[in-house]
Amino acid sequence: MQPTITKEEIMQVFPKVAATMADALGCDVEDIKLDVSLIEGLDAESIDFLDMVFRLERAFKIKIPRGKIIDNARGDLSEAAFEQKGVLTPVGLAQLKAYLSEVPPERFREPMKVADIARLFTPETFCKLVIMAQRETKAA
Amino acid sequence: MLDSGLAGRTAIVTGGSRGIGRAIVELLAAEGVDVTFFYRDNVAAANAVVAGADARGNKIASDKVDIRDAQACAAAVDRVAERCGRIDILVNNAGMIRDNQLAAFADEDVQIVLDTNIGGVFNVTRAVVPHMIVQRSGKIVNVSSVAGEKGGRGQTNYAASKGALNAFTRSLAVELAPRKITVNGVAPGVIETEMSQPVRELAGDDVLARILLRRYGKAEEVAYAVWFLTSRFADYVTGAVFNVDGGFKME
Repeated sequence: MQPTITKEEIMQVFPKVAATMADALGCDVEDIKLDVSLIEGLDAESIDFLDMVFRLERAFKIKIPRGKIIDNARGDLSEAAFEQKGVLTPVGLAQLKAYLSEVPPERFREPMKVADIARLFTPETFCKLVIMAQRETKAA
Repeated sequence: MLDSGLAGRTAIVTGGSRGIGRAIVELLAAEGVDVTFFYRDNVAAANAVVAGADARGNKIASDKVDIRDAQACAAAVDRVAERCGRIDILVNNAGMIRDNQLAAFADEDVQIVLDTNIGGVFNVTRAVVPHMIVQRSGKIVNVSSVAGEKGGRGQTNYAASKGALNAFTRSLAVELAPRKITVNGVAPGVIETEMSQPVRELAGDDVLARILLRRYGKAEEVAYAVWFLTSRFADYVTGAVFNVDGGFKME
């Protein structure tokens, strides 16, 4: 099971997430659309993802453990049920599609490698990451 | 006068209470850098460094941190970031020797050297790099050793740690180049410090015979190389390991 995140929650954090991401990527905030692919649309590299995470941690005063997006997507599935030898299982892929509901279905490859998951990430993915981290901070 | 660009910068130097580390701390502070050094256990030596800086009007702070402890490193780095606002320079200097022939090592002789000399570098650098990535600038200098490249009896543990450190330097330089963070190494030869005293006493003549300049180095002479690599003069240098060894011969 994955927790539900509403559109309202996403729109609440989006302006600050977008501003933070624009700083990290060195682009205009107008370029940060909710559903643009960060890697293919905004030329983000792996170090940019780290930069975004560090900046989001500061901006929202939250802690984002490394690998958290994939952990969130995996939910309560065991690692073995989610992926085998770096490739998502059918159940794992369904779970990922459900979590990354903002990503159009045709962008998911089959088979889908764990290493390629980051290619799917959009600003909305990061909004969800922030919301989940905020919930965990409140719960703690 | 050339301006090194160091005045007003902030730095962390590990292993700063004695030896080469102390020389680095004092030289950077004399250049106007706000330096925080980490030390493991010699409180008296650490306090002496801080007191000397206070007398000269330089900014040096100390923090007692065992760099083998990742959480302690993260907390100490956060304290520096909190106090100084940014971290411009990291000098990974802390290191130790526990020389013996391989077959005579106790388990701990291997573990403590690797945990300190390379594990400690991972712990501190992992805590510092996020700050530098966000700043889009930074200079990291790793204090290695000739032992990282050249063989020496009784030093398999130390040599392995320093060889690993040189590899670490080159790979991290690749990773951080997109954020204009440079990563370099300085590889000292035999320097007149407490740490090298046993080697100098046991094998002095043999060692001197291998040094082209026929003398041991001074801690300050290593510090000058670190100074260069942290200054704006080295903006175009990354992934390099710079020998300061009096011409240590490969024989």
